[in-house]
Amino acid sequence: MRVVIAEDNALLREGMVLLLTSAGHEVVAVAGSGPEVLPALLEHRPDIAVLDVRMPPGFRDEGLRAALEARKEMPGLPVLVLSQYVEESYAAELLGGGASGVGYLLKDRVGRVDEFLDALDRVATGGTALDPEVVTELLTRRRDDPLDTLTPREREVLKLMAEGRDNTTIAKTLVVTERAVSKHIGNVFLKLGLPPSDSGHRRVLAVLAYLNRDS
Amino acid sequence: MRETVRQAARATAGLVMSAALAFGTILFITVLLITATLTLAVVGAGLLPETVLLVRRIAGAKRNLVAQWTGRAIPEAYQPIEGPLRQRLRTAIRGPGTLGDFRWMVFHYVYGFLGLLTAPLWLLGLPVDGVRQGLLGRSPLVLPLIGRLADLDAAWSTALLKPSPEALLAVRIEELTETRAGAIAAHGAELRRIERDLHDGTQARLVSLSMRIGIAKRAYERDPETALKLLEDAQSQAEEALTELRHVVRGIHPPILTDRGLAGAVRALAASSGLDVTVVVDGLEDGARSGFRAPAAVEAAAYFVVAESLTNAAKHSGSERAEVRLVRNRGGLSVRVADEGRGGAGGTSQALGSGGEAGGSGLLGMRRRVAALDGTLLMTSPVGGPTVIEVELPCVW
Repeated sequence: MRVVIAEDNALLREGMVLLLTSAGHEVVAVAGSGPEVLPALLEHRPDIAVLDVRMPPGFRDEGLRAALEARKEMPGLPVLVLSQYVEESYAAELLGGGASGVGYLLKDRVGRVDEFLDALDRVATGGTALDPEVVTELLTRRRDDPLDTLTPREREVLKLMAEGRDNTTIAKTLVVTERAVSKHIGNVFLKLGLPPSDSGHRRVLAVLAYLNRDS
Repeated sequence: MRETVRQAARATAGLVMSAALAFGTILFITVLLITATLTLAVVGAGLLPETVLLVRRIAGAKRNLVAQWTGRAIPEAYQPIEGPLRQRLRTAIRGPGTLGDFRWMVFHYVYGFLGLLTAPLWLLGLPVDGVRQGLLGRSPLVLPLIGRLADLDAAWSTALLKPSPEALLAVRIEELTETRAGAIAAHGAELRRIERDLHDGTQARLVSLSMRIGIAKRAYERDPETALKLLEDAQSQAEEALTELRHVVRGIHPPILTDRGLAGAVRALAASSGLDVTVVVDGLEDGARSGFRAPAAVEAAAYFVVAESLTNAAKHSGSERAEVRLVRNRGGLSVRVADEGRGGAGGTSQALGSGGEAGGSGLLGMRRRVAALDGTLLMTSPVGGPTVIEVELPCVW
């Protein structure tokens, strides 16, 4: 895959390039500040952009803004936003334009290289990768909620689904059969009143839309 | 006799000035009446604050005259007249000092002319006291009366011009509001600095470290040599992260303060400063448990000031020696750092700031940190040296 990286910290930039190239990806451009991001993306038209949230010149949320802007300019451009802390509202802003091809992960996750590369692939192919912490926040946000009617196992399945995992991965993570996973998913959709849907991405969208509805 | 005359002359000078002032007051009250009339007619509202300022200046002149005679200053407690017209007007009219000043002015209108009495007293006193003292050898009688007149003038003025407790309180509240705002701002800046240090330094290093371990794990099977190199990298990054974390922690509250107390911590600073530093400690016994301890914030600020000053001295002054004094006194803690260098850092943060990048912001940082605790920082650094930094940090022991 052709990747554009936006990261101001030299140490992390270098590590990221090392990681991506060792996994067979090609880093076509590196942006070190917010304003550099969009031109780099427009020039290189990468398969995916990996962006740090906080970047110069303001050291606020320049990376996030650049991601939103890039998705407006280049609809469908997969963006994976990395951050040193998760902020639910950032996730909501990112997902606001649709969850397809969007990822929002804690930087800490990059160390789990296989999982990170998996998330990268998922986002690049139009999927979603949401950090477990974001999902946890989304799940614990409200009281008096149909979410309370879910069994613990169903909640686990919902969480993994919201992170963007497919049935196979969920089954493997929870050490159950895929059939059992399908059954749990059916129950979750029923209890939350969502139309049943089996195709991976649409399912995630439904779940995220549900979790992300007005708080 | 000469002494008597001199004393009387001094009193006369003061009284004559007072009389002049009183005369000026008459003119001024005319102006005042005009202003008042105009103010009522709204047209001259803008003149009122200016008039009040003028009154303050006249009262200030009187305060100076009295202080010259008695040797004791009469404190002032005014609120600054600033901001938009409406606010200036409110301060001018409601300000606690205004009424007092006008009251004094009206009284002074009368007693200001005590000075005129000096003329007959001189005419009478010179021959009478001349005879009494010169021929009869007795103490003078008339001329000292001039001094008493000046005393009277001073006593009345002091009573009238002394700010009311409310005015003193108002000024104190103003000061406290300002320093509290400063303290909150300093605290906020401090928190942001710490967050930044942790975010850009330690956290980033740990992420990078974890990344390297992850890559090493992947490489382990097919390329153990690369994996080993990556692990070595990872370890050195872990060490760097620890170093950075230590810096951050030291910036928040130096652990050595907890372990050794201020005196011990400052001695440790002195030893590692690269300069030959004499440390003089008075009233603070060494050791964390025994002796007097200032509040943690005061100790941290004092430590910060010493650290910063010694760093500056080592970097910019060209001096090889320095002296640090820590003195516990009734009102708080005095810190004094003096080098034997070339000076020229005199009170200008720009001069230092333009030379070395740390100098200016360092001094500014010190000032902020000290001001946040209601303390004062005085730096003298004439060209040719030496540079002396004196800090007073108020606290209760």
